[in-house]
Order: sequence, then structure tokens, then C-alpha cells
Amino acid sequence: MSRAARLAIAALRRAAGGLLLLVGATFVIYITIRSAPGDAIDAISPMGTPPDVKARLMAEFGLDRDPFTGYLAWLVRSLTGDFGESLVFSPGAPVMEVALPAFGRTLLLSASALVVCLILAVLASLLLGESSRRQQLLTGPLYVATAAPSFVVAVVFAQVVNWAVNVYLVQNDYVPPMWYPIPIYTESLMPYVFAGFALIAGDGLFMDFFNAVRAELTALRNAQFIAAVKAKGARTVGHIARNMFMPLLSGYAARLPIVLGGVVIVEYIFTLDGGGYLLLEASRERDFPVVVGISVLFTATIIGMNLLADIVRAVIDPREVAHGG
Amino acid sequence: MGDKHLRAGLIASGTVVALVLLVGIISPFVPYDPAEAVNYDQQLQPPSMAHIFGTDGQGRDVAMRVLKGTEAFFLPGLFAAALATLLGALSGAVAGYAEGWLRTGVIGTMQLIDTLPRLVYIILVCTILNPSIYLIAFVAAILFVPSIATVIRRRVEALGSEDYILAHVAHGFRPVRILLYHILWLQCRPMLIRQATYVFGYVLFVEVALSYLGDYGMQEPLPSWGNMVAQTRELGGAGIWPWAFPAVAIVLTISAFLAFGNLLARADEEEVR
Repeated sequence: MSRAARLAIAALRRAAGGLLLLVGATFVIYITIRSAPGDAIDAISPMGTPPDVKARLMAEFGLDRDPFTGYLAWLVRSLTGDFGESLVFSPGAPVMEVALPAFGRTLLLSASALVVCLILAVLASLLLGESSRRQQLLTGPLYVATAAPSFVVAVVFAQVVNWAVNVYLVQNDYVPPMWYPIPIYTESLMPYVFAGFALIAGDGLFMDFFNAVRAELTALRNAQFIAAVKAKGARTVGHIARNMFMPLLSGYAARLPIVLGGVVIVEYIFTLDGGGYLLLEASRERDFPVVVGISVLFTATIIGMNLLADIVRAVIDPREVAHGG
Repeated sequence: MGDKHLRAGLIASGTVVALVLLVGIISPFVPYDPAEAVNYDQQLQPPSMAHIFGTDGQGRDVAMRVLKGTEAFFLPGLFAAALATLLGALSGAVAGYAEGWLRTGVIGTMQLIDTLPRLVYIILVCTILNPSIYLIAFVAAILFVPSIATVIRRRVEALGSEDYILAHVAHGFRPVRILLYHILWLQCRPMLIRQATYVFGYVLFVEVALSYLGDYGMQEPLPSWGNMVAQTRELGGAGIWPWAFPAVAIVLTISAFLAFGNLLARADEEEVR
């Protein structure tokens, strides 16, 4: 069998495994719903829900059946994209019509923040990689600075920017406004940029990426084939870049779940109209179908990213395919 | 990293960790009534001898609230770290040593738990159960078991074919003893320390985040570093002391715990070599 065919089979196998995981994870989510104390329907519906809506919710989540058949019914309905209707957030609208666009924005924000983080990590390791002295001096402070939770970075950042704008306005004899520049213009791009900055600077993401990139780069620089390229007098940049690409892609996919953890609260701080903000607002208002819909979207994304990382790893390392895994 | 840097890092992060542990232990014995602490004559004072961290919008001493705020995460964090390390080490050892369906089952379960988005799942649990911080810590611990188990499983698998372990087997040591003592305790200790500090840091993060959001964490007037940082919402730009000190405390504590775990593990690894 050709290598491409073997790779395709390995990828299909992993995709099937990913689907299985999605079924399992949604089952865990469903069981969590069923574990509500007392009458599950009271735990998941907002205060003062009329009886007919309660009955519909009961049917939608299969609460009137035993957990297993209830789950199957819920799963089958969910697979068609039908997660019920929003109760409070935007009453009557299908959950996915509310959740999907919001989650798309979250994904776009997280993915682009991670791209910038990756570029910064590569630049930093190119600049610092050679000199171990400078690197060691920087590592400590950088470590402390980037271990901060992204939401703390976001809060502090918003405060500093607002303070600076205020000072600027006072100095130039403008009347200081009652509002703050962030977060206020949700339709402008600025809060997204600030949120992205907080995501890059927080949660230890940069240091983690930087260490991984540096290790990869050092290993490549010391690799024999690079020495051979050098001995021939050719330039090594192209060879290093080509061999860095796949490990970086795999590392990227593996880290997106971390960013998706931080983005939830950062969105809330900047009141960005994304999936995390929607999740927290829906949770506060007990808009349960929306909470579940968003949770499933996050879970599916993580499974997808793990799958991507896995497949990329299989492409890089033929042993992973040979083992049939 | 050189020996000197390792020691300097250990001392720096260890000091912060020791301070947090000390404060966490003495805090429950310090009497504090959040209602009595309110003093509207002393709102938003900068740091002084009487109030070393200043006062907040209700005239409460910030230093005292930072101190009492440790109670919100300290014991739950220790509990979660212990639970996750124990479960992670055991399931990792079982998955690494066992064969057949037991191995497949454990690895499958770990993969399954690992796919849940941690914070999102915790918020889902909060929405349904409105739980105490201990239940949240329990859920966080379970969510961290897979990453610990994977590290341990790889190590156990690698060690399983080492000559000296085979020699132990040949000498007739019981598998349980080899697994628990010779592999887990002697060889995996550094990794377990590192992972335990991660879990503690994560529980601190979750507690602070939930209290910041305000619905499920520590509720005012009880102090948490999270709801102290959340005062930015009411204060606007009016005062920085009420939220700056808890924010610094959060950053320092999390980074110190992570760094301490990492460095301790590295020192231990060098010792083992």
C-alpha cells in the first residue's frame, strides 16, 4: 500500500475515533444535566417558566424517559442541528441561530490571537535562541508576566488604557467623559484587538509556545541533515522552515483549547458578542438550551483540534501510522 | 539552566509559595467580620501605616481582605491537587502496566474526559447544580486526571522494559509494590509534584474567575481575590488599590506555584540522575 493510502486510512480511523469521542462527551454533558438535584426540569428552566414551555423542555431533553433512551433521542435531534429554542436570551430563536455566529466570532478571535502568539514565539526564539545569557535573564520575568490568567491581564489592561485616555483628555482640556473607551464600542474592532492581546499575554500561552518552538528549533539546528546542508555550503533557512511547519501546526492545534478556556471570561470583560459571553449570559439567565448548545460547540471544536494535531503528527512521523494507531 | 539559576528560581518561587501556605493556614484563625469592616469615613485611602494596602470603596482594609481571600481557594486547591494526583497516578499506572481491555478502557475514559472544555464544563456544572467551591474543585480535579495519567502512563511504559525493573520482577517483588514504590514513588515523584502545583493553580484560577464573574463564586461581602478585582466595575478609574493588590496576588501566586513545581521537579530529576 502506498504511503498516501495508509495515511488516508489512518486519518479516517482517527476521524471515526473523534466521532466516538463526541458521542461520549455529549453523553457526559447529558448525564450532568440529569444529575440535577430534585426535579431536573426545575433546575434547568428559568424562574416562572410557563407549564407548556416546561413540558416542551422535558420532551426536548428527554427528561421524561430513562437516561439512556432520553440521551439517544436528544442526540438524534442534536445531530440534525436542532438544539431547541432559546428561552431568555433571544426567546423563540433556534439555539444554533444564536450560538453559531457568536461562536464563530469566538473561534476567529482565538485562532487569530494564537497565530499572532505563534509568530511572536518564532520571532522571540530566533532572536534569543543563540544567546543563552540574555535568554536566562529574560526567562524569569517573562515567566511571571505570562503566567497571569488572561482575564486578569484583560482587567488590568482595560483599566490602564481607560486611565491613559482619561489623562489625555484632561490634559488637552477636553471634558473627561463618563464612559470608558473600552469596553464600549462593541461594533468597533478595538475591543477585539485588546481581547486578543490579553489572550496572547495571559495563561502562560506565550512562554509555553516559546519553549516548544525553541526546543524544536534547537533540535533542528543540531540535526545532522542541517549540518550536511551547511557542509555543502547551501542556505539552511529553507530547510529549517520546511521542517518546522508541521510541528508548529500540530502545536498550534494542540494549544487552541487553552485559548478557548481563556476567551470565555475575556469576552465577558470586553463585552464582546461571542460564544463565551453568550455562555455566561445564558448561564446567568438560566437559558439552558443555549448553555448546552454552546458547550457542545466548544467540545466539538476541541475534538476537531485534537484530531487535526493527531493527523498532522501522523503525517510527520510515519511510525504513528505504522503502529496502526 | 545552570545550577545557580535553578537555586535562585527555587528560592524566589519557594518564598512566595511558603508565604501563601502560611497565610492560608493562619487565615481561618484571624477573626474577621465583613459587615463590621465597613467604614464610610475611610473610603479609597492609599496605602498607609494603618492600612498597608489601602482601603476599598466601602472603607474596608484591603490587606485584611487579601489575607482572608486565601480561604476561598486554599483548602479546595489542596484537596483538588491531592485528589487529581492520586487518581492520575493510579490510573496512569494501571493503564501503563495493564494489558487488554483494562488498558483500553482507562485510556478511553481519559481521552473522553480530556475532550471536555474545562472552564465551559465547570460553568455548565455551575448552571445546573450551583455547587460549593469543593464540588467545583472536585470537578476540576477530575478534569485534570487525564493529563496526569498520560504523563505517568508514558513513564510507566518506558520503565516497564528497563532492566532493573525486570530484575525486580525476577526477584519476585509483587507488581503492586513495584508499581507503587519503585516506579511511582521513586521515578514519577517529580512529575507528580509538577502536576499537583498545576492543579492547585487551576483551582485558584477557577475560584478567582467565578468570583470575578459574580454568579457562582464567593459572594460579597465575603472576600475573594476574584470579587476584589471585580470592584473595577463599580470603581471605574476612581481607585486602583482595591483591585491592584489582589490582582498582583493572583499573578504572583499562580506563577510562583507553577514555577516552584517546575523547578522542584527539575531539581529532583537532576538528583535522580
